[in-house]
Amino acid sequence: MKPVMTFALMTLRNLLRRRTIWGISIVILLALFGIGQIPGYGISNEGRFILDFGFFGLEIGALLLAIGLAANIYPRDKEQKTVMPLIAVPLSRGQYLMGRFIGAAMVQAAAMLVGCIGLMVILLLNGLNIPADLFPATCLLLVEGWFLLAVVFFFSFWTSPPLNAPLTVLLFILSQMSVSGFISILPGAQGFMRFLRLLLPHMDVFHIKDPIAHGVGIPFVYFLLATLYGLAYMAFMLSLALAVFRSRDLK
Amino acid sequence: MKYLKLIILLTLISLTGCRIDYDIEEVAPPEHLGETHEHDHTQTGIEDHQDHVPDDAEVCPVCGEIHDQEHVREHDSTGISGSDRHVHEAGVRNHGTGWFFNQPWAARFIWNKMIRDSVILLFLAAIVLLVSLYRLRKKR
Repeated sequence: MKPVMTFALMTLRNLLRRRTIWGISIVILLALFGIGQIPGYGISNEGRFILDFGFFGLEIGALLLAIGLAANIYPRDKEQKTVMPLIAVPLSRGQYLMGRFIGAAMVQAAAMLVGCIGLMVILLLNGLNIPADLFPATCLLLVEGWFLLAVVFFFSFWTSPPLNAPLTVLLFILSQMSVSGFISILPGAQGFMRFLRLLLPHMDVFHIKDPIAHGVGIPFVYFLLATLYGLAYMAFMLSLALAVFRSRDLK
Repeated sequence: MKYLKLIILLTLISLTGCRIDYDIEEVAPPEHLGETHEHDHTQTGIEDHQDHVPDDAEVCPVCGEIHDQEHVREHDSTGISGSDRHVHEAGVRNHGTGWFFNQPWAARFIWNKMIRDSVILLFLAAIVLLVSLYRLRKKR
């Protein structure tokens, strides 16, 4: 575990040196600031709109961060030929993947935390109350972001970075669809479409912005279940990514 | 091995009745989908409401309250008119809030299926890891 954590911290430092992460974080904060400027038009509970749009902004931010952080890691290592000496002696392929993933996940967690604090500040500046479930809701979006990060790693082992981003976005969009909506894309092959949908997560599991915006309490056990669900999907995608990575010939 | 994978894939594809994955509405028990507010004025409007107003001070069979002409006037003073004129209790499921209560956090009956999916995925992840490790060692 120690080599993985050392490599993860190395990845963290490398990623923080890149401009991408700072650019995406600034975009998220600017978007949140823009959301805070939406006029209330005298509507009561104006805070609902800010929360709703704010969480949506954080979710899109998690997607952008996943792509921005991970799409280039392996291709760059391969291009600069740094992956070979790494996996030749000090690290196994699994440790390489886990180190890179944990490093990127830590950066994503820090960026989401900044986004959450930004949303709190905007609510306070607008004289609105901060819901008690704001932080747990952000944590669920972070779990969703980690799953997307695993997806980006998976794609990065067998596609080029320009193809990685649209594939991840496509998977993100399809995962938002209901089963009936997904089947309606190809109604003739219902069984096949159901099977395909089965492989994708139900992203609505991570969305609790509606109850929070309307002041409905969420049972704590639900947070645990949704986290377990997201982490299980993340583990599955990472295992697929590692299987692809293990089958690659790096010479 | 390739044929086995193909057979498994074709079997899964051919299972048109596969209900492992579903929308909440598909598997929701009637008590989850059922409207808790039965006092429906949607189709009938205020005219119909006047129909069930008994002669003075009688218990209404629809809402269980004592109705009189004053009650009708009270309903009329809400400012809503036409067929849309009805009021629902806040925070409960009705024809307008179905989407809200069909989200996973509100549908407790699918929580055990979330656990089921998680366990299956973790199991599959372990299998994928073992198979890829076995293939890597075999290659060496």
